[in-house]
Formats: sequence, structure tokens, C-alpha cells
Amino acid sequence: MNAIYLYPLWVRIWHWFNALLFVIMLWSGASLHFAGSIGLLDFSTARPIHNIAGILLALSWIAFVIGNLVTSNGRHYRVQWHGFIRRLITQGHYYAVGIFNNEPHPFHPSTEMKLNTLQQTSYLAVMYILMPLLILSGGAFLFSIYLPETLWGLGSVWVVAMAHLTVAYCLVLFIMVHLYIITTGETVTTNLRAMVSGWHREMAQEKTE
Amino acid sequence: MKLPIIRRWFIVVSIPLILTLLYQFVYPLAFEAYVGKVNAPLVYNNSTELTSVEFETLANELSIDARQRAAAAIVAADQTPLARQVKIEMLMNTPSAIRNSEPKHIQYFRDAGIRRYDGPETCLHCHATMRIQHGDGSHATVNTLNDLVNSVHFKFQTEAGGFSTYGYDGRQVNSGGHKIPVGKINRACGIPGSFTWTGWAALIASHPEKNHGAEVLRSEGCGQCHIGGNYQPATEKMMPIGDVPNEAKNGIDCLICHAAQYDMNQRYVIKDEKGLRWNQDRSLRAALTVKSISSETCLRCHQHNMGGDVYQHNTAAKELGYINQRILHRGAKRGNPFSSEDDVHAAAGIQCTDCHIPEGHLIPRGRKGVDLVANDIPIKDVTCESCHGQAPHNQSEYRALLNGHIARLACETCHIKALQPDNVVLRDWVHPTWNAEEGIFEPTDIYRSGAPGKGFIFLWFNGNGTFLANALGSNPNGSADYNPLMQQVARITDPDVIAAVRHKAIELKQRYSDIDVDAYVEMATNPLSQLSPELLARREAMIANNLRNAMMQGESRIYPFKLFNAMMYEDMSNQGPFGAMILPFDYARYYETGDSAAAVKVAIVDPIIQRMYQEPFKRYMMDEFMAYFGITDGWKTVYPLVNEQLVNVEPHWMRQMGTLMVNHGIQSKGRECIECHAPNGIMDFNQLGYSAEQTAKLEQLDGIELRHKSD
Amino acid sequence: MILHASTLRLNRARQLLIMLMMMAFSLAAANEKVPVNHNACLRCHAMPTLAYRDANSNKIINLSIDSLALSHSVHGKLACAECHDGQFDRYPHQFDAQNRPLSCVNCHEEKADAAERHYQFKTIEEEYNQSVHATPDAPELKGFNCHSCHDPHQFRASRIGEPLAKIIHTNNQLCLSCHESARAHHAWLPNQEKHWQAVRCIDCHTPVTENDQTVSHQILKAEASNHDCVNCHSKNSRLLNRLYQYRTATNLEHQGWFNTAVFNDAYVVGMSRSPLLDRLALGVIGLTLLVLIAHGFGRYKAYQRITRNRK
Repeated sequence: MNAIYLYPLWVRIWHWFNALLFVIMLWSGASLHFAGSIGLLDFSTARPIHNIAGILLALSWIAFVIGNLVTSNGRHYRVQWHGFIRRLITQGHYYAVGIFNNEPHPFHPSTEMKLNTLQQTSYLAVMYILMPLLILSGGAFLFSIYLPETLWGLGSVWVVAMAHLTVAYCLVLFIMVHLYIITTGETVTTNLRAMVSGWHREMAQEKTE
Repeated sequence: MKLPIIRRWFIVVSIPLILTLLYQFVYPLAFEAYVGKVNAPLVYNNSTELTSVEFETLANELSIDARQRAAAAIVAADQTPLARQVKIEMLMNTPSAIRNSEPKHIQYFRDAGIRRYDGPETCLHCHATMRIQHGDGSHATVNTLNDLVNSVHFKFQTEAGGFSTYGYDGRQVNSGGHKIPVGKINRACGIPGSFTWTGWAALIASHPEKNHGAEVLRSEGCGQCHIGGNYQPATEKMMPIGDVPNEAKNGIDCLICHAAQYDMNQRYVIKDEKGLRWNQDRSLRAALTVKSISSETCLRCHQHNMGGDVYQHNTAAKELGYINQRILHRGAKRGNPFSSEDDVHAAAGIQCTDCHIPEGHLIPRGRKGVDLVANDIPIKDVTCESCHGQAPHNQSEYRALLNGHIARLACETCHIKALQPDNVVLRDWVHPTWNAEEGIFEPTDIYRSGAPGKGFIFLWFNGNGTFLANALGSNPNGSADYNPLMQQVARITDPDVIAAVRHKAIELKQRYSDIDVDAYVEMATNPLSQLSPELLARREAMIANNLRNAMMQGESRIYPFKLFNAMMYEDMSNQGPFGAMILPFDYARYYETGDSAAAVKVAIVDPIIQRMYQEPFKRYMMDEFMAYFGITDGWKTVYPLVNEQLVNVEPHWMRQMGTLMVNHGIQSKGRECIECHAPNGIMDFNQLGYSAEQTAKLEQLDGIELRHKSD
Repeated sequence: MILHASTLRLNRARQLLIMLMMMAFSLAAANEKVPVNHNACLRCHAMPTLAYRDANSNKIINLSIDSLALSHSVHGKLACAECHDGQFDRYPHQFDAQNRPLSCVNCHEEKADAAERHYQFKTIEEEYNQSVHATPDAPELKGFNCHSCHDPHQFRASRIGEPLAKIIHTNNQLCLSCHESARAHHAWLPNQEKHWQAVRCIDCHTPVTENDQTVSHQILKAEASNHDCVNCHSKNSRLLNRLYQYRTATNLEHQGWFNTAVFNDAYVVGMSRSPLLDRLALGVIGLTLLVLIAHGFGRYKAYQRITRNRK
């Protein structure tokens, strides 16, 4: 059995805190967006929840960025351009074809590189493109009184709203895929357990190789 | 090693010391030499010391009227006169009665042992600093003497911006970086005597009829009203550095404004070994009556420019001096008196400072000034609205309609119905007339009138004025036809006025045979005829390009403006489309001989006029002054006196009439509707920029029932 | 999809063109009419300072009429005497003429086309009578009438074409000119400023009525007014049967994405949804879900294979 300590405590705490906030944000956000529909939260309840969770999420994102800057965790987000496309194709091929043929996983996490290229790319996009957009547009909503009347000839609140909504939908997609992908470890729960304990344990590969 | 350090310190200390000494002692001497003025300790003969007994006698006397009045009000009237008199006398002589009615300064002086009034020195003994209130309600403590020395009342000019005056070059005066001193001290107004440098104090040998040719000395000059007692105005204040010398500061006349009982008979010119200067009342009597400023104290001087010197209720003009009596100026400057007889506010006991609310010694004139008179607080309003508010007409059945007119008419337009009849409109300084009664030659007033359309006219006014005192404004309908500088103030069309001018010209021709009556009338009533076609074209372009903007600003209303023009000697080297630099007269030569050209020659020899025609003064202020004046290529330093002969000097009328604001002499009952709204009404709607159609409408009053109004 | 959007845009352009033509036509039609001459009255009443101080109340009574605003108002085409039927041809006007009531009803209810009007003045009166403004015993409401809010010389039915924010501001200023402490009373309202910029006071302070009129004249008490966010922040927002229905000629719901962007100058959470974006996003989410299920099923099959092989 090969076990690596992949996820330090702060990453795990951050991850689960973030996950919780995501659930709250999506639920309360849907309640605001589809206000009046059955089964959702009351508008006046959803509003403060969404606002507070949103602020916490923004803070948590800042904590994540700082954490990556001051600890060694940041290196997992540094792209290795050499062989990038090849690795991307390999990883894609695995998910699209190889996985059904029970081919071995092409990537093995190590302390140097815990994320596979596809994972890395998507996390980078989420954490450094979508999240800032989400936080900015959310903040603009919160302080909409200070926005200019129009933005590029359009109602500025409308622009902000559409950006916020589009990003939110993208993040819903991300969550779905993310939840599914974690089941594609060696066993269905390998990755999940790793995020709980911090230890990534692989057995099969050792045996086969 | 030690020696160089000591030497270094010596240099460091001595340089500022030497500079200070130079500034304090050498500069004033150099400046005096440059402008040819002198300073010396000023002595006043009536500043005498009283004994304690004399002091108490005076004190008793000064409160006697007040005590008697107070006692008489208390003692019942239904008793025999003798019994009443006895009781009054008892009551008025109790210590408490004396204490309560005595002017306050009696006790102050008694306690401080002051038995002689020495001028500002005595006042500053207690009033070295004073607490003033600004317009925004905030307070400050200022040095009293500095506050006064820097006020317009003392220096009558300012270099500060904030003027509502625009140069003919389109620039707001002193709004840019190069600020020049402007104000009455150098104002090119219609009265050459306003060159205060040359007309400060003069003694004139008159030969009145009643004395059968015997000489009588008379006093004349700007200093008769201005508070500096020196041999000249505070010329030092025109320079960027330097201060008024202490001798001059000691000559300041505090009491003419602050004493309740000031003897105007003490105001005459005295001659000492240094020159001529104005005497003042420095008696302890005057000093003991110091109290709050009142209209009475202001009017000692200011009735001169409002009601006029010969206005019958001008009390100061009744006390012309114990000796060397002051010469009365006969044509009134504005002819709108402030007196309880002729002004509703004065009659109501309203004091000057109720509207012109001072901040220390700085006194606001209001934000709307057409002339170049310096303003202590140019940003402070003096308006009717500040008391009367909105919708001021409450009594008349027509009140709503009267209030409706306020959007277009200033209050003065209806509530000043006429000026004093001796209000002067056209004055010929070049051809003086012998006044047999006074025994002097006086400038000839070609036309005087206080009537609307003649002595004053109605113009649109937004608060701006030109450098030569022409009201600026525009008809709110945006009409470009309204062009007073080419019409109303540049031409007299009233046939009565023209006839009167002709009559006067014929009269003048008897003494001055070279006068061509037709040409004279044309020049006086159509001053633009004096301009060459080229200058006329430039004038029209300058009005259109430079003044339109200042005319269109803000909201204009129709105001009454007193008109004035004068024929004077002009330095034609410095002529522009709006006039040329006028030259001053020497008062004595002028009044005594009637030789106006000779009077000019004497006056312009004055060193400060000579300096004016030299390069440093040109650079310092004259180029800028001329630019505002409408002369774009600078001041020409061609001194107009060569070998005792005037060179390139011609007699001319200014190319347009000046317009002076009139704001006093307010009548409680305003004009009748019909005075304006009639085909031959007092207001020329057409010239005010209304279309023919609008004019026709304004000239009729269909539907207005006038029966009540004319009752 | 693209074809659909472009036809929509074309339709939209055509609608705009028709609207513009109609506007031009109506302008031309207005010009053909003989302009009503107010000059006789406006000679005095256009004076901006025409006013007097009332002897009893000591208040300044403004008699001035903004002639430009009058010419733009719904009443601008009426002669003055059509409403003010007294002896006003002489000045000073006779006292009894000044106190004669205005003949509003004559036009607004008794004329033949009264029934066709969008607003029924009978209904307005009924609504107004239940309004807080009609509380008869409140001393501060003494003398309150239609003209307290609606200046008949400036009144315009609805200011289509002006920016929404300006309409809302003007409208709210009217209320705030009397209700000076309104700001403090609305501290509970989240994003107060934004609400006040985007919503008229009357949008919350009037009941929703069935009578097809865009807003009721029954101003509600504070307690009875709308506090429920969802009344506005939902797809069936009540704002949509009020001011916002004027925003564009066609219904917001059926507009394309582009038009929504252009015409939507006030976004309301919960109301201003982009149906296209919602549908698109939900579609993609659904598809992704299907793909993931299929992928999972494939993996399950593969897993079965491997276990079978082991066995």
C-alpha cells in the first residue's frame, strides 16, 4: 500500500467549508432567482443567507489564494507547459475510453503533483476566473447603489446580474462534474477519503505493477 | 577653526537683518523719492488737553439732553410748569440718571485718565484688537489698525479678485494671475479729480462777488471725505511690498465715523511746512461721544455721492468749515438721497449697516457693481431680497401682479421714481464757467436732470459691468438686438435733452468763441461720432466677441441707471474704441483761472503721473490696465507734456456714458403701471431688445383695470 | 437557433419603425390642429414670480404657470377657460370668480368618450376616498385634494420615452415633498437607495386592483402596504402591471436576450429573468447529468467485467 499525505489540514478544512458555502449559496441563490416557486426558501430569508454566505465565500477565496501563496500547496496550480497537450489528451482519453476498458489510471498523484492536468486546468479556471467573476459580480450586487447607471450602454445592474447568473450556472456544472469525478479514483471513495483524512492511499497499482 | 564658524553665523544673522533694515528704512525713503510724496508727523490744533474740571463740565453737557428727555418722560404732565420743572431737574441729576444716559466713553476716559484725544493712538489703547463676525457666522479676532488700513475706506483700491467688472478685452478684472490695484485711487472715471494722487488736498483762492474781489481761501480735494489725514492718499498700498508709514496711520480720522458729535466745520485744508492736508475734529468732545455707527455718521461723507452736496437735507454740507470752507460740488453724482425725507428705509430708522453688514472695518457694497469702485467684501450680498424676501407686495389689490414683475424688474426700477433734479448727466470740464457767487471757475454742467429717460435710463443688468462702468446684461428672450454700448449709453436721442445741450452750447460759445455749436451738440449727444470708422468697427467687434458672454451670464433684470459723461482732456496716444486715458486737472489752477489746459499741465507734472509714463509702471500695471480698457497693444509711455506744451492731447467726451447704479432714495409707493405700459412710456422696450410684436403688447394694458391703482 | 434570433431582431426593428412612423404621424396631426392660445392668461401667469402671501396662512401662494410644461401637459391643448369658467378677462379678477370650483368632471366624466378612457375617474374617486390622504380628521391633510399631487398645468399621463429612473425620481419626489421622514421609516428595506431609485412609492403603497388600471389611487397606510419581497421579486412581479409595463411596448417576457439587455434599465432580482439563459443553462445541466449517468453506467459495466474476469 502506497499512502501519500496529499491534503494538509488547512486545505481540508478550507475545502469542506467551501463546499458547505457552495451548497448554501446555490440553494439560497436559486430561492432568489426563482422566487415564489414552491420548495424554495422564502425571499426575505434567502436574501440575508445569500449575502452572508457570499461574503464568507469571498473571504474563504481570499484565504485560499493567500494559502497558496504562502504554503507549498500553490505549486499544484503551477502549469507545467512541457507536454501539456499530450497529458491533456491522455487524461481525456482515459475518461472517454480507457476507463471503460479498465485501463490503469494514467496519473498518479504525488506530493509534487497532486492534480492531474485536466483537474488542474479546471480548478485553475474555477478558482482564478469564475470565482473572481462571481465575487466581483456578487459584490457589485451588494453595492449596486454605487454602480454607474449604465455599463457599455446597458443597464449596469443587468450586466452584473447576467454575469453573476452565468457564472453561477457554470459553477453548478463544475460541482456536478466534480462530484462525479471524485468517484473515479481507485475505488469509488478513494478520493473522498483522501480529502477527509489527507492521506491518498493506492493499493491496486502497487500490486499490478 | 573657530573663526570661520563665527563668521558664518555672523553672515547668516546679518543678511536678514540688513534686508529688514533696508525694507524698514531705506525702501520707504526710496519710495517717497520715487513718487515724490512726503510723510511727516501730523499735528492737529484741536487735539487739546482738558483739566479734570473741564472734563466733568463737558461730560455733564454731553448727557444733559438725554437726561432731560428721560426725566421728562417720567414726570407727570398734569401739574404746574414750575413744579414739573423742579421735579425734572431733580430726577435728571441723580447719579443713576447720569450713569444711565452718559455716553459710555465718558466713564472709560474718566477711569483711564484720558484728558486728550490723540487720534488712533488713543483708540487703540483699548481697541488694539477687535472681534469680528464673518458672513457665515464664524468669528475672528483681528488687529484693529491693520484691519482698517487694509480696508477700502482707507486705501480705496484693491488688488483682490472678485470684481464683477469685465475688461473690454472680455477678461474679468483681476481674475487672472497678474493682479493690479484698481479702485477709486486710479479709476478713470468721468471726474478727473478722482486721480487722488493729484487731487488730494488743494487751497483755492476764490473771489466771491459779495467780497468785492477780495480773496477768500477755499478747500477742495478727495481727502475731504477720505479718512487718511496725510498729505496724499495711501499710495504705498498700490505696491506689492511696503506699508503705510506710521505717521500716515496716525493721521487716520477714527471719529468721523465713530463719534456721534463730530464737528464737520473742522474739515478743511490746512497748510504746514510740508504741504497741504485735511484737518479733522480731534477734540475730546467728539471722542467722548463715540458710539455705534449710524446712518448719520456714514452720511457725513456719503450723502455727497447720494443726495449730493447741495441736497437740502445734507447736514454735513451745511458745516463747510470754520476757515477755508469746502467748495460744494453742485451737480449731484447720483441724486438718490438717503434721508428720512426722501427714503423710506431712512424714514423707518434703518441704519446703513443694517443692509451693508460690516465685518470689522470691511464693508460690503453688494455683489453687483457696475463701476470699478473697490469692494471690501465682493462676495457678500447687499440686496432688497435679504429683508423683503419673496412676494414682497402685500397691500395692493395688484399684489400678485406686482410680485410677478420681480422676475424681470429690480425693485429700484419702480421704487426710485426720480433722482434729484441737480443730478448731472453731461459735464464739460474743458470749458469751465465763472461762478460769480463763489468767485471760482467751475466745470460746466451741460445737462442736469433727475427725470426717467433723461437723467437715468433702464437697462438689463446681471450684476456685471465694464471697466468704464457700463451695466451689462441681456434680455432673457436672448435677443441680440439689445446692445446698449452701441445704443442707449452711446447716444442721446431725447429731443428735450438735445435742445437743452444746444442751449448750453450757445451759452458757452459766448465765452469760448471757437465752439462750433452743431459739432459740440453732436459730440456730446453722439459720442461715437468721435471715433474713426476703423475704431468704430473694432468697438463693435469687441462688444460682440468679448462682452457678449459677460452680458449673457446669470439672470438679468431691468435696473435704473444714472447716466454720466464728461468732456475732458485725453491723452490720444492711449486711445481705444471705448475712450482714451483722461488727464487730471490741478484744482487751484482750474478753479482760479478757468484755464483748463493750463490746469492739466500743472497736474501732470506731479511725479506720480510722470512715473505712470515710465517703463516700470507700464510693466507693473499700466499695460494690464489698458488691456481692460480695450487697448490691446499696451500702454504708450509718450509723456504728453513737451516743452510746456501738451502733445497729442485733445478734449473729448468719453465714447459712451457711464452708468451708475442707484439704490437709495427708495419710495414706498412704486410707479403706476401706465408709466411704462403705454406707447410713450418711460421704458423703451424696443431698445431693451423686445421685438416689435412684444413691444406692442407691452405698451398696452388691455384687461387691467387701473381705477384702484390711480385712486 | 440563430435564424430564430435574427428574425426576432428583424421583427423588433420593424416594430420600432412602425412606432416611429406612428409618432411622426401623431406629431404631424398635432401640428395640424390650431394651437390653443393661452397668451391672454399667460401674459401674467407665465411670470415666474407671480405670487402673493396669503393673509390668513402667511404662506406664499404661487400663481405662476410654467408655460413650457403646460404646453407639454395633457391639458395643454385646452383653453384656460375650459377649466376656469369665471370672469377672468379683467384684472384684478373678481373675488367670486377666484373661488369658483374647477370644472374637471365636465371633461373627465360627462363627455361621450369618458367610458373609453384608460382611467375611470369614478374609480379613482372611489379609490381615493379609501386612501390615507382622504382621512378627514387629520389636521395636516386639511385641504388635500387631487391638485396636491397632480399639478393640472403640468400633468402628463405617463412619460414614455423619459428614462425610467427620472420618472421614478420625479414621482417619488412628489411624495417626499410632504413625507419628509420617509427615509427613516424605510430603514427596514434592504438596499433602500436602490429600491427608491427603481421603485415608486406608490408601487408598494397601493393595493393591486382588478380593474385594469395600472395603479390605484388608494394610498395605503404603512401597515397595510406591501412588505412582501416576493410580490415584486418573482416572475409574476406586481411591478409588471405597474410602471414597468410602460418600459417597452411589448411584454418583457417575450423579448429576446438582446432586446432585454437594451431595454432593461432596471434589473429586478427574481423578476427580470432571461428565459433564454435559464433554459440554456438548465438544458446543459440536464445533458451533463445524462452524460455523467451514462459514464457511470459504462464504468459499472466495466467493473462488472473485471469482477467477472477475476471470478
